Amino acid sequence: MADSLFRYYEEMQREGVILYFNGPVSQGVVESIADLMRNKMSAEEAGMGSVQRVFSILVEQMQNIVRYSSEREASSDALQGGMAYGQVVVGREMDGRVFVACGNRISAEDCGELTSHIERLRRMNPEELKAYYRERRRSGAPENSKGAGLGFVEMARKSARPMDYDIRPLDCDTSFFSMKVVAQ
Amino acid sequence: MTRYSVQATKSSPRIDFDPKRMSFEIKGESYPENCWAFYGPMFDWLEEFFVKSNGDRLEIDMEILYFNSSSSKTFMDLFDLLDEHADKGKNIVVNWRYHEENESAMECGEEFMEDVSNLKFNLIEFTD
Repeated sequence: MADSLFRYYEEMQREGVILYFNGPVSQGVVESIADLMRNKMSAEEAGMGSVQRVFSILVEQMQNIVRYSSEREASSDALQGGMAYGQVVVGREMDGRVFVACGNRISAEDCGELTSHIERLRRMNPEELKAYYRERRRSGAPENSKGAGLGFVEMARKSARPMDYDIRPLDCDTSFFSMKVVAQ
Repeated sequence: MTRYSVQATKSSPRIDFDPKRMSFEIKGESYPENCWAFYGPMFDWLEEFFVKSNGDRLEIDMEILYFNSSSSKTFMDLFDLLDEHADKGKNIVVNWRYHEENESAMECGEEFMEDVSNLKFNLIEFTD
């Protein structure tokens, strides 16, 4: 293990990684990591707009892990919510833009709907995304959503280009979902 | 009617609704783990307030640094509720306050403003 870490380090440097997290995500982890990135970017004197966009994409992706990761530990305390496993990566593109990526196991039966939702957003221009966001915000949340069903639309609106994603089956019940959003 | 007051946390705002002083404020960040659980009691309080209160005017100050997509939906529900009461003749004002450099808070305020029809929605920029 000890000698693998240097390889990971080098590989992540090559990919422009600023932050990498792999493990159980709770609301407390969401708050800490989002805060850490906000402080780091503010210290580097990034404009408030770009700090806010990265913060927002990070929170949406990590809260998706908390809500939808199918790899989770039941919590003894229902109020504390669960611990859901996932990966979060923040890094810099060659052009200096910040990207946020995440990966986690999801239930195989959710894949179809997730794919069509993201594909639909990938085809929309900014005006269409704005109209779709406002329409969806006014209507009730979709049936299988644990939030408002607006998270991906929110991310698409802050994305510099169509969002990248990948879904690969692991077994009959489970697939691995990952996505990458480059902040405007 | 008793005052409704909740302390801010890292991911949820301070809420202070004081019917005696007729002062209403929501201030802070909003990305709680469960929006409905956090804001549910506030909506219950407001529903009761509208039944009991005979005042004609309600002015609410909102200063939210960041809010997630679930909070966005919840705020829209709040403005819809206020809009209904404004439609019934109440004088309702929302002051959406944002820092001059926080362009996303400003744009979000503009979008909320476009989506309400009867209440008065003010965009108020402030500096340090």
